[in-house]
Amino acid sequence: MRLLVIEDDTTLRESLCRQLAEAGFGVEQAADGREGLYFALEYPVDLAIVDLGLPEISGLDVIREVREKGKTYPILILTARDRWQDKVDGLDAGADDYVVKPFHYEEVSARVNALLRRSGGWATSVLSAGPVTLDTTRQELKVSDSEIELTSYEYRIIEHLMMRAGEVISKTELTDRLYDQDFERDSNVIEVFIGRLRKKMDPDNSLQPIETLRGRGYRFALDRNQDS
Amino acid sequence: MSSLSARLLVSVSLLLIFFFGVTIVVLDSAFREAGEQAQEDILDTQLMALIAEAEPNPRGELEMPFALREPRFGNLGSGLYGALSDETDAPVWTSRSSLGLDVPYGPRPESGAHSFSRVNLDDGTPLMALSLHVQWELANGDLKPYTFSVAQSLDSFNAQLAGFRRQLFTWFGAIALIMLFSISVVMRGLLKPLRQIESEITDIEAGKRESLSDDFPDELSSVARNMNVLVGSERSRSERYRNTLDNLAHSLKTPLAAIRAILTEQQSTNLTDRVEAQIERMNDIVRYQLRKPSTAKTESFGVVAVPVDKELKKLVDGLHKVYKDKEPEIRVDVTTGILFRGDTGDFLELAGNLLDNACKWCKSKVSLTIRPLPGATIDSGGMSMVVEDDGPGIPDEAREALLQRGMRLDENAPGHGIGLAVVKDIAASYGGDIAISGSALGGAKISVTVDPD
Repeated sequence: MRLLVIEDDTTLRESLCRQLAEAGFGVEQAADGREGLYFALEYPVDLAIVDLGLPEISGLDVIREVREKGKTYPILILTARDRWQDKVDGLDAGADDYVVKPFHYEEVSARVNALLRRSGGWATSVLSAGPVTLDTTRQELKVSDSEIELTSYEYRIIEHLMMRAGEVISKTELTDRLYDQDFERDSNVIEVFIGRLRKKMDPDNSLQPIETLRGRGYRFALDRNQDS
Repeated sequence: MSSLSARLLVSVSLLLIFFFGVTIVVLDSAFREAGEQAQEDILDTQLMALIAEAEPNPRGELEMPFALREPRFGNLGSGLYGALSDETDAPVWTSRSSLGLDVPYGPRPESGAHSFSRVNLDDGTPLMALSLHVQWELANGDLKPYTFSVAQSLDSFNAQLAGFRRQLFTWFGAIALIMLFSISVVMRGLLKPLRQIESEITDIEAGKRESLSDDFPDELSSVARNMNVLVGSERSRSERYRNTLDNLAHSLKTPLAAIRAILTEQQSTNLTDRVEAQIERMNDIVRYQLRKPSTAKTESFGVVAVPVDKELKKLVDGLHKVYKDKEPEIRVDVTTGILFRGDTGDFLELAGNLLDNACKWCKSKVSLTIRPLPGATIDSGGMSMVVEDDGPGIPDEAREALLQRGMRLDENAPGHGIGLAVVKDIAASYGGDIAISGSALGGAKISVTVDPD
């Protein structure tokens, strides 16, 4: 999952980005509203974290503009102003949730996970489809109740695919989500990871959780379970 | 043009120019017409006198006597001229006054008719001429056509007219100047209270006086009164800000001292946790002070009424987003058109804190009811706001402590946080109150009242 963090305070931004990156997110950062708006519109983003008090363009205007341009990914507001009027203005402009400064990292990560899950159409933090369950808070993958060891790249891929179960995800999109912008990209790596995931999750090739659509990408093929 | 008196003087001057101009034109033309009429009457009389003195001679021709009764016909340059001509237009007789002058009498009129005309002598002197064409019955019964003509110089009439006009302009000009002068004097007097207000406001700015005096004319006394209300509310607002700042600064010192103590302890155990606790305390202090009411009841001057339904819709939409996973059913029952007389932020703080707490604690149901207070109208600002939920409720013994939290910031009541204390403060600043009880839904019921304006 790729996150965009727009926050002008360097200490806060870098600390937040570092912790999010450690948690397995690809993180893009911007220090002012203008740069942030550019990234928000031009880069592949799954969720944006926007500070309301930004230089150049205010956070509210960034959010309005992003929504006006038809972007639907979730937006989490960071704000030092915690009067309800400010929260309501932010939510009204198109944000989905808010975190008031000063915050604990855990608070932000919980909101981010919840928003991502919701945007994928999942109601709980445990995504479950057929015998496969993915606990996004504990980052655990189980198939038929037995846990499967994953590297962080493998986890990111299966999380992205399951989060949007049923949708076709292109190889480019997966690459975008996997690497930070300044990494060298190699889409062959995706094929290798997918191959490894298939082997780990479905050693006897009976489940076939990940479908390859030639020239289009991959799809998590198992049906979502009713109560998740 | 920014000065009232300058605007008034210019408009009055323009009006005076217009009205006096019209008056001058009307008076002038009336005077001229009356004068010309008089001139015509005089000429007519002279003509009749001339006809009366004409006598036919034995040759059957008309003749004028040598000396006429009107002496001016006989005096050179008298300005009154006469002539008699026959059917060939050849002069039979001309008055001695016209000796050496070629007096034109205008065209010959039809038989039996008068004709007035304006003519000029060769030297440019304007004349008014009157001719009458008659058929004279001679002694033998023959009819012979003759034309009697008289002309009179208009010099003296024109001089009279010019004099009249001069007087007209002099008088009206003088009247206009006197009027403008009086108006500007009156204006100075009328505007004096305004200048007084201005200088008093300057004095207030400079700190030389507390408020505006109350000896203004009726039209200005309400302005002065409102100004005093504004000045008073500004003063109490800045006092409140100063107090808030003071409280804030002082209350932050305790946790700062605590952090320093923790850091200087020789063997600090669980340093992070202890500093974190102090940071949390400082954060609570700041949050509480920042969320305190932005207006006090006494400062409601100039506050625009808040349409409750519109603001609530935004708030409830926002809460639905935030509590999307929980999807609480928020039932809003608000008297249509009810207004909150105060700051929008304060209203959202009241409703936002109450609804947020209710959403946080409820199992699935939240209800908000806003009604005008008994006896109050929907636009008076007096209202009761009741928020209920179906959560675990608040135990009796915790209720008072929750409301006290604003005063005792070290208190750590999880969940309801400082929200209720803020609500209590805002309600109190609008002359209202807050009460916690149990709801029929099974959870907490919080009732807040706001007094009418």
